[in-house]
Amino acid sequence: MDSAAAPRPIIDVRKVAKHFGSFHALRDVSATFHEGQVTAIVGPSGSGKSTFLRTLNRLEAHDSGEIVIDGMTLDDDVRNLAAIRREVGMVFQSFNLFSHLTILRNVTLAPIRVRRMSREAAEARAMALLERVGLKSQAAKYPVQLSGGQQQRVAIARALAMDPKVLLFDEPTSALDPEMVNEVLAVMRELAHSGITMLVVTHEMGFAREVADRILFFDEGAILEDTSPANFFSNPAHERARAFLSQVRHGY
Amino acid sequence: MFAAMIGLLVVLWGMAIPLSAVPAPIGPAAEQFADGARVTVSLTLISGSAGVLIGVLAGLGKLSPLRLLRWFCDGYVWLIRGTPLLLQILFVWLALPTIMPEGVELSDFACAAIALSLNVGAYNTECVRAGILAVPAGQVEAARALGLTPLQTFLDVVLPQSMRVALPALANNLASLVKDSSLAYAISVVELTMVGYRVQAESYQPIPVFITIAVIYLILTTAFTTLTAALEAQLDVGQRR
Ligand SMILES: Nc1ncnc2c1ncn2[C@@H]1O[C@H](COP(=O)(O)OP(=O)(O)OP(=O)(O)O)[C@@H](O)[C@H]1O
Ligand SMILES: [Mg+2]
Repeated sequence: MDSAAAPRPIIDVRKVAKHFGSFHALRDVSATFHEGQVTAIVGPSGSGKSTFLRTLNRLEAHDSGEIVIDGMTLDDDVRNLAAIRREVGMVFQSFNLFSHLTILRNVTLAPIRVRRMSREAAEARAMALLERVGLKSQAAKYPVQLSGGQQQRVAIARALAMDPKVLLFDEPTSALDPEMVNEVLAVMRELAHSGITMLVVTHEMGFAREVADRILFFDEGAILEDTSPANFFSNPAHERARAFLSQVRHGY
Repeated sequence: MFAAMIGLLVVLWGMAIPLSAVPAPIGPAAEQFADGARVTVSLTLISGSAGVLIGVLAGLGKLSPLRLLRWFCDGYVWLIRGTPLLLQILFVWLALPTIMPEGVELSDFACAAIALSLNVGAYNTECVRAGILAVPAGQVEAARALGLTPLQTFLDVVLPQSMRVALPALANNLASLVKDSSLAYAISVVELTMVGYRVQAESYQPIPVFITIAVIYLILTTAFTTLTAALEAQLDVGQRR
């Protein structure tokens, strides 16, 4: 697609397979992601989207194949893993904020512990990030005191506090009440234009179509389509993708 | 929290004054009662703290991926919970000195403290394990994804939250420990019950003596319960009720 100033590849996935017992969750998945690219990952439930995302920061270990992130191979080497987790942030469907810490401490914990930032520097940065997601006034509260949409925006700020090169989103709006979906999508849209590399598993087809540079369609543990949003939505190549799209369009 | 702690200290160190005003056989033995209460509280605090540490370590051990460690912790809890405390105290007192290296002397108090720590530690293990399991797995994943090491994840995310869950049960065990420490009298530690036994043996008046002992125990257990309740309230942040 983009041929002029070819952006640097930041994630390289080669023939990655993953089993859960006898179940084949990923079947020789290969893909390269470039710096600044926003990729939407879609597909039916159980097709391996979450598993794929989770192998990229080793919340799941892959069985075979190779994953290289920013030049570092993801394997059992703890030093590589630590370095990779500093570069790759993740936002979960269920927010997973630390419920015993204030919003501010949620955001500063990792920079202080992992990046060895001073508390003052970490807090200053956290406040700036909370302002960016529109939650500066909530810094002293605890997660339970916030709405789902606010919690997810905090989770995004928490991931950004580590200054990652890549952000992984696993259905960031699926657990939200409909009226809160947009406030989170707005933050993600702003991020997408900031140049950070994003991989977003989502059921929000509108968001995928409008914001993503690229669509991956997963089916039964494999990437069935890897194309542009325009192409995918107007002219899907596979019957499975057509069936998926019509199902999504007509509600669940 | 501080009020409860200071209250406990005042009770312990000021106790002899009102007691000495009570008629015989209590008044003349006021200092003995106060000393006995201090020994009881020291035993409780020392064994209670060591017991929490043991409970955390063994609770973690029970959840470890290492099968041998899991078996060891299971065996420890099974052994302690399946045998009488008195037997454990006697065992430590009689058997430990024979396996100690030359020159190391264990006082009776130390033997009692070791036995009580091991005992309450086993009961704490189950509470801590339940507390750890109650921490949402998603938060552990979030910590790992942020790059925290397993130790940092445990100390910063899992431990504080599991303690919040485990605290009522741990407090319960601590209150029991105040009473269980009375069994140390069997190996001649001069704690509160032993004092009562001696004073009534000298005065031939068991009823007022044991009523006094009972009241002191009640004051101590109440103080410990208040203390842990205050601690609970302090940790009770960010929790859905
Ligand atoms: N830890 C696990 N143990 C066993 N099976 C698992 C595990 N995690 C995922 N699976 C299975 O792997 C398959 C792929 O799961 P995955 O969560 O990646 O799907 P998904 O595409 O994210 O689906 P959804 O849209 O429902 O989130 C599913 O059939 C799931 O049951
Ligand atoms: Mg999923």
